[in-house]
Amino acid sequence: MDSSKAFERDLTELLPRLRRFAHALSRNSADADDLTQATAERALRSREQWQPGTRLDSWLYRIMRNLWIDTSRARIRKGKNEAPEEEAETIGVDPSGAMEAAIELKRAMAALEKLPDEQREIVALILIEGFGYREVAEMLDLPIGTVSSRLVRGRSAMLAMLGGTRDG
Amino acid sequence: MVEEAKFYAWLDGELSPEEAERVGAAVAADPELSRLANEHRAMTAGLRSAFASVDEQPVPDRLLAAVQDREVEIVDLGQARAARRRLPPIWAQAAALAATLAVGVFTGSLLGSGGSGPITADGGPFVASADLETALNTRLAGTPQTKGAQIRLTFRNKTGAICRTFEDHQASGLACRDGQEWRIRSLFQGPERSATDFRMASGANPQLMEAVDASIDGAPFDAAQEREAMERGWRK
Repeated sequence: MDSSKAFERDLTELLPRLRRFAHALSRNSADADDLTQATAERALRSREQWQPGTRLDSWLYRIMRNLWIDTSRARIRKGKNEAPEEEAETIGVDPSGAMEAAIELKRAMAALEKLPDEQREIVALILIEGFGYREVAEMLDLPIGTVSSRLVRGRSAMLAMLGGTRDG
Repeated sequence: MVEEAKFYAWLDGELSPEEAERVGAAVAADPELSRLANEHRAMTAGLRSAFASVDEQPVPDRLLAAVQDREVEIVDLGQARAARRRLPPIWAQAAALAATLAVGVFTGSLLGSGGSGPITADGGPFVASADLETALNTRLAGTPQTKGAQIRLTFRNKTGAICRTFEDHQASGLACRDGQEWRIRSLFQGPERSATDFRMASGANPQLMEAVDASIDGAPFDAAQEREAMERGWRK
Protein backbone atom coordinates (compact mmCIF):
# COMPACT_ATOMS: atom_id res chain seq x y z
CA MET A 1 0.00 0.00 0.00
CA ASP A 2 1.43 3.39 -0.88
CA SER A 3 1.72 6.09 1.74
CA SER A 4 -1.21 8.09 0.41
CA LYS A 5 -3.56 5.12 0.65
CA ALA A 6 -2.19 4.27 4.09
CA PHE A 7 -2.87 7.80 5.23
CA GLU A 8 -6.47 7.62 4.02
CA ARG A 9 -6.95 4.25 5.65
CA ASP A 10 -5.58 5.51 8.98
CA LEU A 11 -7.71 8.63 8.75
CA THR A 12 -10.80 6.52 8.05
CA GLU A 13 -10.06 4.36 11.06
CA LEU A 14 -9.81 7.43 13.26
CA LEU A 15 -13.12 8.93 12.09
CA PRO A 16 -15.20 7.39 14.93
CA ARG A 17 -12.88 8.94 17.53
CA LEU A 18 -12.78 12.26 15.73
CA ARG A 19 -16.58 12.31 15.65
CA ARG A 20 -16.63 11.63 19.37
CA PHE A 21 -14.32 14.55 20.08
CA ALA A 22 -16.35 16.73 17.71
CA HIS A 23 -19.50 15.88 19.65
CA ALA A 24 -17.80 16.97 22.88
CA LEU A 25 -16.95 20.33 21.30
CA SER A 26 -20.18 20.98 19.39
CA ARG A 27 -23.69 21.79 20.43
CA ASN A 28 -25.37 19.19 18.26
CA SER A 29 -24.65 16.24 16.01
CA ALA A 30 -25.01 18.15 12.77
CA ASP A 31 -22.37 20.67 13.84
CA ALA A 32 -20.18 17.82 15.08
CA ASP A 33 -20.31 16.06 11.72
CA ASP A 34 -19.61 19.33 9.89
CA LEU A 35 -16.56 19.80 12.09
CA THR A 36 -15.41 16.22 11.51
CA GLN A 37 -15.77 16.62 7.77
CA ALA A 38 -13.89 19.93 7.76
CA THR A 39 -11.13 18.26 9.81
CA ALA A 40 -10.84 15.33 7.42
CA GLU A 41 -10.70 17.66 4.43
CA ARG A 42 -8.09 19.89 6.06
CA ALA A 43 -6.02 16.84 7.02
CA LEU A 44 -6.06 15.53 3.45
CA ARG A 45 -5.00 18.89 2.09
CA SER A 46 -2.19 19.25 4.63
CA ARG A 47 -1.05 15.67 4.79
CA GLU A 48 2.53 16.60 3.91
CA GLN A 49 2.73 18.46 7.20
CA TRP A 50 2.19 15.31 9.20
CA GLN A 51 5.45 13.62 10.10
CA PRO A 52 5.30 9.84 9.78
CA GLY A 53 6.38 8.30 13.04
CA THR A 54 4.50 10.86 15.10
CA ARG A 55 0.99 10.26 16.35
CA LEU A 56 -1.58 10.83 13.64
CA ASP A 57 -4.40 10.99 16.19
CA SER A 58 -2.83 13.90 18.11
CA TRP A 59 -2.22 15.74 14.85
CA LEU A 60 -5.85 15.29 13.77
CA TYR A 61 -7.22 16.30 17.15
CA ARG A 62 -5.14 19.43 16.96
CA ILE A 63 -6.52 20.29 13.52
CA MET A 64 -10.04 19.73 14.76
CA ARG A 65 -9.50 21.84 17.83
CA ASN A 66 -8.08 24.72 15.79
CA LEU A 67 -10.96 24.59 13.31
CA TRP A 68 -13.39 24.54 16.19
CA ILE A 69 -11.77 27.60 17.76
CA ASP A 70 -12.04 29.42 14.42
CA THR A 71 -15.69 28.55 13.92
CA SER A 72 -16.62 29.26 17.50
CA ARG A 73 -15.12 32.72 17.20
CA ALA A 74 -17.10 33.26 14.04
CA ARG A 75 -20.20 32.06 15.85
CA ILE A 76 -19.68 34.53 18.67
CA ARG A 77 -19.29 37.33 16.13
CA LYS A 78 -22.50 36.33 14.42
CA GLY A 79 -24.33 36.11 17.71
CA LYS A 80 -26.67 33.38 18.73
CA ASN A 81 -29.24 33.88 15.99
CA GLU A 82 -28.62 30.57 14.36
CA ALA A 83 -30.73 27.58 13.63
CA PRO A 84 -32.03 26.23 16.92
CA GLU A 85 -30.66 22.99 18.18
CA GLU A 86 -32.65 20.04 16.95
CA GLU A 87 -34.74 18.54 19.70
CA ALA A 88 -35.94 15.02 20.13
CA GLU A 89 -39.59 15.96 20.33
CA THR A 90 -41.08 12.56 19.81
CA ILE A 91 -39.81 9.65 21.76
CA GLY A 92 -40.78 6.35 20.23
CA VAL A 93 -40.65 2.89 21.69
CA ASP A 94 -37.08 1.77 21.37
CA PRO A 95 -36.28 -1.51 23.08
CA SER A 96 -32.61 -1.36 22.12
CA GLY A 97 -31.77 1.35 24.63
CA ALA A 98 -30.48 3.57 21.84
CA MET A 99 -32.87 6.32 22.92
CA GLU A 100 -31.57 6.20 26.47
CA ALA A 101 -28.03 6.50 25.17
CA ALA A 102 -29.08 9.45 23.03
CA ILE A 103 -30.58 11.21 26.04
CA GLU A 104 -27.42 10.64 28.10
CA LEU A 105 -25.34 12.03 25.27
CA LYS A 106 -27.55 15.07 24.91
CA ARG A 107 -27.29 15.78 28.61
CA ALA A 108 -23.51 15.42 28.58
CA MET A 109 -23.21 17.67 25.52
CA ALA A 110 -25.43 20.31 27.13
CA ALA A 111 -23.24 20.34 30.26
CA LEU A 112 -20.02 20.60 28.23
CA GLU A 113 -21.47 23.46 26.23
CA LYS A 114 -21.78 25.52 29.42
CA LEU A 115 -18.03 25.32 30.06
CA PRO A 116 -15.73 28.05 28.76
CA ASP A 117 -14.03 26.84 25.55
CA GLU A 118 -10.61 26.55 27.16
CA GLN A 119 -11.96 24.22 29.83
CA ARG A 120 -14.23 22.28 27.51
CA GLU A 121 -11.45 21.20 25.16
CA ILE A 122 -9.32 19.98 28.05
CA VAL A 123 -12.13 18.10 29.78
CA ALA A 124 -12.93 16.44 26.45
CA LEU A 125 -9.35 15.49 25.62
CA ILE A 126 -8.44 14.13 29.05
CA LEU A 127 -11.64 12.80 30.59
CA ILE A 128 -13.42 11.59 27.45
CA GLU A 129 -10.64 10.93 24.95
CA GLY A 130 -8.19 9.62 27.54
CA PHE A 131 -5.11 11.65 26.61
CA GLY A 132 -2.49 12.33 29.27
CA TYR A 133 -1.75 15.82 30.65
CA ARG A 134 1.55 16.05 28.81
CA GLU A 135 0.07 14.94 25.49
CA VAL A 136 -2.61 17.60 25.79
CA ALA A 137 -0.11 20.26 26.81
CA GLU A 138 1.88 19.51 23.66
CA MET A 139 -1.20 19.31 21.47
CA LEU A 140 -2.46 22.70 22.63
CA ASP A 141 0.91 24.38 23.16
CA LEU A 142 0.16 25.08 26.80
CA PRO A 143 2.22 24.68 29.97
CA ILE A 144 1.24 21.51 31.79
CA GLY A 145 0.25 23.56 34.87
CA THR A 146 -2.32 25.44 32.78
CA VAL A 147 -3.76 22.16 31.49
CA SER A 148 -3.99 20.86 35.01
CA SER A 149 -5.68 23.94 36.48
CA ARG A 150 -8.20 24.27 33.62
CA LEU A 151 -9.02 20.60 34.02
CA VAL A 152 -9.70 21.07 37.73
CA ARG A 153 -12.08 23.96 37.07
CA GLY A 154 -13.80 22.24 34.16
CA ARG A 155 -14.36 18.90 35.83
CA SER A 156 -15.58 20.56 39.06
CA ALA A 157 -18.18 22.48 37.04
CA MET A 158 -19.17 19.26 35.25
CA LEU A 159 -19.59 17.46 38.56
CA ALA A 160 -21.81 20.27 39.82
CA MET A 161 -23.98 20.01 36.68
CA LEU A 162 -24.12 16.27 36.21
CA GLY A 163 -23.68 14.98 39.76
CA GLY A 164 -21.41 12.15 40.73
CA THR A 165 -23.79 9.31 40.04
CA ARG A 166 -25.32 7.99 36.86
CA ASP A 167 -28.78 9.03 37.95
CA GLY A 168 -27.68 12.18 39.75
CA MET B 1 -3.33 17.56 53.48
CA VAL B 2 -3.43 16.96 49.75
CA GLU B 3 -2.90 19.79 47.32
CA GLU B 4 -5.80 20.12 44.86
CA ALA B 5 -3.78 19.66 41.67
CA LYS B 6 -2.05 16.59 43.17
CA PHE B 7 -5.37 15.07 44.14
CA TYR B 8 -6.69 15.25 40.57
CA ALA B 9 -3.38 14.17 39.05
CA TRP B 10 -3.55 11.12 41.34
CA LEU B 11 -7.12 10.48 40.21
CA ASP B 12 -5.99 10.57 36.58
CA GLY B 13 -2.99 8.29 37.11
CA GLU B 14 -0.54 11.10 36.38
CA LEU B 15 1.70 10.72 39.45
CA SER B 16 4.85 8.70 39.89
CA PRO B 17 4.30 5.41 41.78
CA GLU B 18 5.80 6.84 44.98
CA GLU B 19 3.73 10.00 44.89
CA ALA B 20 0.61 8.07 43.94
CA GLU B 21 1.08 5.88 46.98
CA ARG B 22 1.44 8.86 49.28
CA VAL B 23 -1.61 10.67 47.89
CA GLY B 24 -3.64 7.46 47.77
CA ALA B 25 -2.98 6.86 51.46
CA ALA B 26 -3.91 10.44 52.32
CA VAL B 27 -7.17 10.19 50.36
CA ALA B 28 -8.04 6.85 51.95
CA ALA B 29 -7.64 8.46 55.38
CA ASP B 30 -9.92 11.36 54.53
CA PRO B 31 -13.63 10.51 54.08
CA GLU B 32 -14.36 13.82 52.38
CA LEU B 33 -11.62 13.33 49.76
CA SER B 34 -12.63 9.70 49.28
CA ARG B 35 -16.19 10.77 48.57
CA LEU B 36 -14.99 13.45 46.13
CA ALA B 37 -12.76 10.92 44.37
CA ASN B 38 -15.69 8.54 43.97
CA GLU B 39 -17.96 11.26 42.65
CA HIS B 40 -15.41 12.30 40.06
CA ARG B 41 -14.80 8.71 39.01
CA ALA B 42 -18.51 8.14 38.53
CA MET B 43 -18.95 11.41 36.65
CA THR B 44 -16.06 10.58 34.31
CA ALA B 45 -17.38 7.06 33.75
CA GLY B 46 -20.80 8.52 32.93
CA LEU B 47 -19.28 10.97 30.46
CA ARG B 48 -17.28 8.26 28.73
CA SER B 49 -20.25 6.02 28.48
CA ALA B 50 -22.42 8.83 27.05
CA PHE B 51 -19.84 9.58 24.37
CA ALA B 52 -19.16 5.92 23.66
CA SER B 53 -22.54 5.96 21.93
CA VAL B 54 -21.00 8.25 19.27
CA ASP B 55 -18.14 6.03 18.23
CA GLU B 56 -20.38 2.98 18.29
CA GLN B 57 -22.54 4.53 15.58
CA PRO B 58 -21.64 3.86 11.96
CA VAL B 59 -19.69 6.77 10.51
CA PRO B 60 -22.00 8.85 8.27
CA ASP B 61 -21.48 8.27 4.59
CA ARG B 62 -20.63 11.89 3.87
CA LEU B 63 -17.63 11.65 6.20
CA LEU B 64 -16.38 8.46 4.58
CA ALA B 65 -16.90 10.15 1.23
CA ALA B 66 -14.88 13.18 2.36
CA VAL B 67 -11.91 10.88 2.92
CA GLN B 68 -12.43 8.51 0.04
CA ASP B 69 -13.63 10.84 -2.73
CA ARG B 70 -10.13 12.15 -2.66
CA GLU B 71 -8.99 8.93 -4.27
CA VAL B 72 -11.34 9.59 -7.16
CA GLU B 73 -10.00 13.09 -7.69
CA ILE B 74 -6.46 11.95 -8.26
CA VAL B 75 -7.45 9.35 -10.82
CA ASP B 76 -7.93 10.85 -14.27
CA LEU B 77 -11.44 10.94 -15.57
CA GLY B 78 -10.92 8.36 -18.33
CA GLN B 79 -9.55 5.86 -15.87
CA ALA B 80 -12.39 6.51 -13.51
CA ARG B 81 -14.93 5.88 -16.28
CA ALA B 82 -13.19 2.71 -17.34
CA ALA B 83 -13.15 1.50 -13.78
CA ARG B 84 -16.86 2.15 -13.51
CA ARG B 85 -17.61 0.17 -16.65
CA ARG B 86 -15.86 -2.82 -15.16
CA LEU B 87 -18.32 -2.94 -12.27
CA PRO B 88 -20.86 -5.73 -12.39
CA PRO B 89 -24.22 -4.79 -13.87
CA ILE B 90 -26.14 -2.44 -11.64
CA TRP B 91 -29.03 -4.88 -11.34
CA ALA B 92 -26.83 -7.61 -9.95
CA GLN B 93 -25.55 -5.15 -7.40
CA ALA B 94 -29.01 -3.93 -6.58
CA ALA B 95 -30.24 -7.45 -5.98
CA ALA B 96 -27.30 -8.30 -3.76
CA LEU B 97 -27.77 -5.10 -1.84
CA ALA B 98 -31.49 -5.30 -1.45
CA ALA B 99 -31.28 -8.85 -0.17
CA THR B 100 -29.20 -7.73 2.74
CA LEU B 101 -30.33 -4.15 3.08
CA ALA B 102 -29.18 -2.90 6.42
CA VAL B 103 -27.12 -0.14 7.90
CA GLY B 104 -23.78 -0.18 6.20
CA VAL B 105 -24.77 -1.72 2.93
CA PHE B 106 -24.50 1.32 0.73
CA THR B 107 -20.97 2.46 0.47
CA GLY B 108 -20.15 5.05 -2.13
CA SER B 109 -17.65 2.73 -3.76
CA LEU B 110 -20.29 0.11 -4.51
CA LEU B 111 -22.29 2.67 -6.37
CA GLY B 112 -19.37 3.99 -8.34
CA SER B 113 -18.24 7.56 -8.14
CA GLY B 114 -21.18 8.93 -10.15
CA GLY B 115 -23.27 8.68 -7.06
CA SER B 116 -26.36 10.52 -8.22
CA GLY B 117 -27.88 7.71 -10.27
CA PRO B 118 -30.62 5.84 -8.49
CA ILE B 119 -30.53 2.16 -7.87
CA THR B 120 -34.13 1.20 -8.23
CA ALA B 121 -35.77 -2.13 -7.97
CA ASP B 122 -39.16 -1.13 -9.30
CA GLY B 123 -41.49 -4.06 -8.99
CA GLY B 124 -38.58 -6.34 -8.23
CA PRO B 125 -38.88 -9.12 -5.69
CA PHE B 126 -36.52 -7.44 -3.30
CA VAL B 127 -37.65 -7.53 0.27
CA ALA B 128 -36.51 -5.78 3.42
CA SER B 129 -34.03 -7.60 5.60
CA ALA B 130 -34.48 -8.04 9.35
CA ASP B 131 -33.23 -4.64 10.53
CA LEU B 132 -35.14 -2.63 7.98
CA GLU B 133 -38.21 -4.82 8.39
CA THR B 134 -38.22 -4.12 12.12
CA ALA B 135 -37.95 -0.41 11.46
CA LEU B 136 -40.78 -0.52 8.89
CA ASN B 137 -42.99 -2.55 11.19
CA THR B 138 -42.46 -0.71 14.45
CA ARG B 139 -41.37 2.85 13.88
CA LEU B 140 -43.66 5.83 13.54
CA ALA B 141 -42.91 8.38 10.87
CA GLY B 142 -40.71 11.23 11.96
CA THR B 143 -39.47 9.61 15.14
CA PRO B 144 -35.80 10.49 15.53
CA GLN B 145 -33.55 7.44 15.58
CA THR B 146 -29.99 7.11 16.66
CA LYS B 147 -29.59 3.77 14.95
CA GLY B 148 -31.02 2.21 11.84
CA ALA B 149 -33.60 3.56 9.50
CA GLN B 150 -35.87 6.47 10.10
CA ILE B 151 -39.35 6.36 8.63
CA ARG B 152 -40.42 9.52 6.86
CA LEU B 153 -43.84 9.00 5.27
CA THR B 154 -46.62 6.44 5.33
CA PHE B 155 -49.28 6.33 2.62
CA ARG B 156 -51.55 4.07 0.60
CA ASN B 157 -50.62 3.46 -3.03
CA LYS B 158 -52.93 3.12 -5.99
CA THR B 159 -53.26 -0.64 -5.51
CA GLY B 160 -54.34 -0.10 -1.89
CA ALA B 161 -51.10 -1.34 -0.32
CA ILE B 162 -49.48 0.52 2.56
CA CYS B 163 -46.14 2.05 1.63
CA ARG B 164 -43.52 3.76 3.75
CA THR B 165 -40.41 5.75 2.92
CA PHE B 166 -37.29 5.09 4.94
CA GLU B 167 -33.91 6.67 5.27
CA ASP B 168 -30.75 5.91 7.10
CA HIS B 169 -27.51 7.79 6.79
CA GLN B 170 -26.55 5.95 3.64
CA ALA B 171 -29.68 5.19 1.68
CA SER B 172 -33.31 6.09 1.30
CA GLY B 173 -36.12 4.26 -0.35
CA LEU B 174 -39.71 3.23 -0.63
CA ALA B 175 -41.11 -0.07 0.64
CA CYS B 176 -44.66 -1.36 0.19
CA ARG B 177 -46.38 -4.08 2.12
CA ASP B 178 -47.09 -7.22 0.15
CA GLY B 179 -48.53 -10.05 2.22
CA GLN B 180 -46.12 -10.64 5.07
CA GLU B 181 -43.25 -8.78 3.49
CA TRP B 182 -42.06 -5.28 2.82
CA ARG B 183 -41.03 -5.13 -0.82
CA ILE B 184 -38.49 -2.53 -1.83
CA ARG B 185 -39.94 -0.46 -4.65
CA SER B 186 -37.22 2.16 -4.93
CA LEU B 187 -33.84 2.55 -3.43
CA PHE B 188 -31.53 5.53 -3.59
CA GLN B 189 -28.10 6.29 -2.37
CA GLY B 190 -28.20 8.61 0.63
CA PRO B 191 -28.42 12.31 -0.11
CA GLU B 192 -25.13 13.82 -1.09
CA ARG B 193 -24.34 16.23 1.65
CA SER B 194 -21.71 18.86 1.89
CA ALA B 195 -20.89 20.66 5.07
CA THR B 196 -22.96 23.66 4.11
CA ASP B 197 -26.11 22.14 2.68
CA PHE B 198 -26.33 19.30 5.16
CA ARG B 199 -29.42 20.40 7.00
CA MET B 200 -31.17 21.55 3.88
CA ALA B 201 -30.48 18.32 2.08
CA SER B 202 -31.38 16.13 5.00
CA GLY B 203 -35.03 16.33 4.03
CA ALA B 204 -36.20 14.05 1.29
CA ASN B 205 -34.39 12.84 -1.75
CA PRO B 206 -36.17 14.47 -4.73
CA GLN B 207 -36.08 11.23 -6.71
CA LEU B 208 -37.69 9.44 -3.81
CA MET B 209 -40.35 12.12 -3.64
CA GLU B 210 -41.05 11.59 -7.35
CA ALA B 211 -41.47 7.88 -6.70
CA VAL B 212 -43.91 8.70 -3.90
CA ASP B 213 -45.84 11.14 -6.09
CA ALA B 214 -46.14 8.54 -8.82
CA SER B 215 -47.65 5.89 -6.58
CA ILE B 216 -49.53 7.70 -3.79
CA ASP B 217 -53.30 7.57 -3.66
CA GLY B 218 -54.54 10.65 -1.79
CA ALA B 219 -52.51 12.21 1.00
CA PRO B 220 -49.87 10.76 3.33
CA PHE B 221 -51.21 9.31 6.57
CA ASP B 222 -51.44 11.46 9.63
CA ALA B 223 -50.28 10.08 12.97
CA ALA B 224 -53.66 8.55 13.84
CA GLN B 225 -54.03 6.82 10.46
CA GLU B 226 -50.51 5.53 10.73
CA ARG B 227 -51.09 4.12 14.18
CA GLU B 228 -54.26 2.42 13.01
CA ALA B 229 -52.44 0.90 10.03
CA MET B 230 -49.74 -0.39 12.34
CA GLU B 231 -52.33 -1.99 14.60
CA ARG B 232 -53.84 -3.71 11.57
CA GLY B 233 -50.45 -5.20 10.75
CA TRP B 234 -50.05 -2.95 7.69
CA ARG B 235 -52.65 -4.96 5.78
CA LYS B 236 -54.52 -3.44 2.85
